[in-house]
Amino acid sequence: MPILNRVRKPAALALFLSLELAGMTVPSTGLLPHHVAGEIHVTAPTLHFLTGKSLSRLHDGAAVPFDFQLIIASGSKNNVVARSLERFMVSYDVWEEKFSVVRVRDFRRSGMRLSASSAESWCLDNIVVPAAALPPGQQLWARLEIRSAESKEPLAATSGINLATLIEIFSRPSRPEQDRWSIESAAFQLADLKQQ
Amino acid sequence: MSSALKLVALSSLLAFSLASQSLPPDAAEAADLNVNSRYTIESINFVDQHEYKLSTSALDEIRHLVGAKVSTEALDRLAQRIRGELRAHDVTFKLARGLNPESVRVLIQVDHAGGSFNAGVPNLSYNSAVGFTGTGELSSTIGPNAFTFRMLRDSDTLIERLSGVQAKYERALSANGRIRLGFEFDGYEDQYAPSTLAALDAPHSSSLGVGAYGSRLNYEPSATFVLAAPLTLTVGLSFEQLNGLPMAARSESAHAVINSLRYRQRWATSGDSTQELDAGYSLRAATTVLASDLAYTRHVAHLKYNYSSRTQSVEVKMIAGAIYGQAPLFERFALGDSTLLRGWNKYELDPLGGNRLAYGSVTYGYHMMRVFYDTGSVWDQGKSPEVKESAGIGVSSGLGVFEKGAFLVALAFPLGQTHVTPVLIAGMNF
Repeated sequence: MPILNRVRKPAALALFLSLELAGMTVPSTGLLPHHVAGEIHVTAPTLHFLTGKSLSRLHDGAAVPFDFQLIIASGSKNNVVARSLERFMVSYDVWEEKFSVVRVRDFRRSGMRLSASSAESWCLDNIVVPAAALPPGQQLWARLEIRSAESKEPLAATSGINLATLIEIFSRPSRPEQDRWSIESAAFQLADLKQQ
Repeated sequence: MSSALKLVALSSLLAFSLASQSLPPDAAEAADLNVNSRYTIESINFVDQHEYKLSTSALDEIRHLVGAKVSTEALDRLAQRIRGELRAHDVTFKLARGLNPESVRVLIQVDHAGGSFNAGVPNLSYNSAVGFTGTGELSSTIGPNAFTFRMLRDSDTLIERLSGVQAKYERALSANGRIRLGFEFDGYEDQYAPSTLAALDAPHSSSLGVGAYGSRLNYEPSATFVLAAPLTLTVGLSFEQLNGLPMAARSESAHAVINSLRYRQRWATSGDSTQELDAGYSLRAATTVLASDLAYTRHVAHLKYNYSSRTQSVEVKMIAGAIYGQAPLFERFALGDSTLLRGWNKYELDPLGGNRLAYGSVTYGYHMMRVFYDTGSVWDQGKSPEVKESAGIGVSSGLGVFEKGAFLVALAFPLGQTHVTPVLIAGMNF
């Protein structure tokens, strides 16, 4: 697997430990998985991450990167079977008072002139895991983690981020200046998901 | 960690199905993903309206950014440079709508939370007609508190020659610096030119409130409000004590309400040229309501406009002032120093100053060379103003308003005189 070429063994262990710790967070059932054209999408109507310090920075005209990690676990919550990582760059147009989102690994994919809730939904629409990776007939759980990138991080560094860096970011605890959100789904089976 | 646990971790990693296997770093690096990068920078200013002095290279960087499209990377670089020059804890910027659609204002926020301490010489000058003027300054900023201590000798600005200290404390009441409270204490020893003392002995204008004093103390609480950046209003009180009067050996007071309205803006018409406008009106009203011995009002309006491109610059300056009532010497207007009506000697023009002032000046610069023309008059109400003119030539690194380390060396000549004695003016930041 290409991932093994990118992740060193200590980083993998750190990642595992962080997943263990993340599993201790209070579960919430606000994350709703859907099956769309061979991909698992999620929606989270109760989750709002364009808030607080991040929202203040956006209103000040800064571009704020948000790192997303979508995990599907099977059998137990710690047995991760599928995972997707994305960084989205969110900015706020000071004239139009609308949000713009760019998926950093492919900045041709972007959402423009969005409301705050639409920008949040756009990010969730653009992080998926392939349904083929999920074992059929087993109980599954989905967990979504979001972190705002550190404000001190130069934008050039944030826009040129690679997958290994994102893995490393989620393998370490968030810093106090970072905003962080985590949300989980109730247990589900692949066959139960509504096909769209 | 047990080997079984390691195995589980490894199997978890092997089971990862990654929707995206690679994130090309190079493609995104070149792009500014901020939606505001399509807007043009209209102006760059400090949020707290503080008059920070920056190096020529930092000002050049600002000049190049104004008129260009927003670049987060370039603004980050500028913020880091300013942080270094001001020794600030942190410097950040934010964007706000500009006056024109498709343009934005960049507001720089300087955070001194970690504290800073600076020592410097804000100004130093020599004028062959009036002598040396200089100020040494120690300043410290700790969080929202700013402390400034100055020792100065000023032969230039007023009719009196003063030496003494100024101590000022300022506190920002809000994070964006829109309200600042301040308290200033000034203590001066005063000396006078022989021509001023002679004029005081002779019958003189009834508008002069009091004769020569030996020292002066001033206690000045104030509050500054940013009405609509960069328009500010300062209101306060000035409790001024004039001591060492020769006649009755008692002190006189000039307690006044002070107000000043000021607009100071810098913007660009293109990437290579900038314009600066500094305009204001100030009022000092000494009143018996504040137990003042002297009662008068002093009005001053000023306007300074500067246009500068890479090679040329033009500066236009106008000042008008009027005093009603009996004001002491330090309030009276004077022309003929290192900045106003250069080339004349203020003590020869009017050794007691006047209670009316009208002044205008134009300076043209080409690279380092400067030529200027000054005209104006100081007179007393009821008398006819006598307009004086002067011209000069010199070299300068800048016009000095916003610039750190700006200097000027010039020769100035009074015009319309049969006998012309040039005045040498040299110094920095005046």
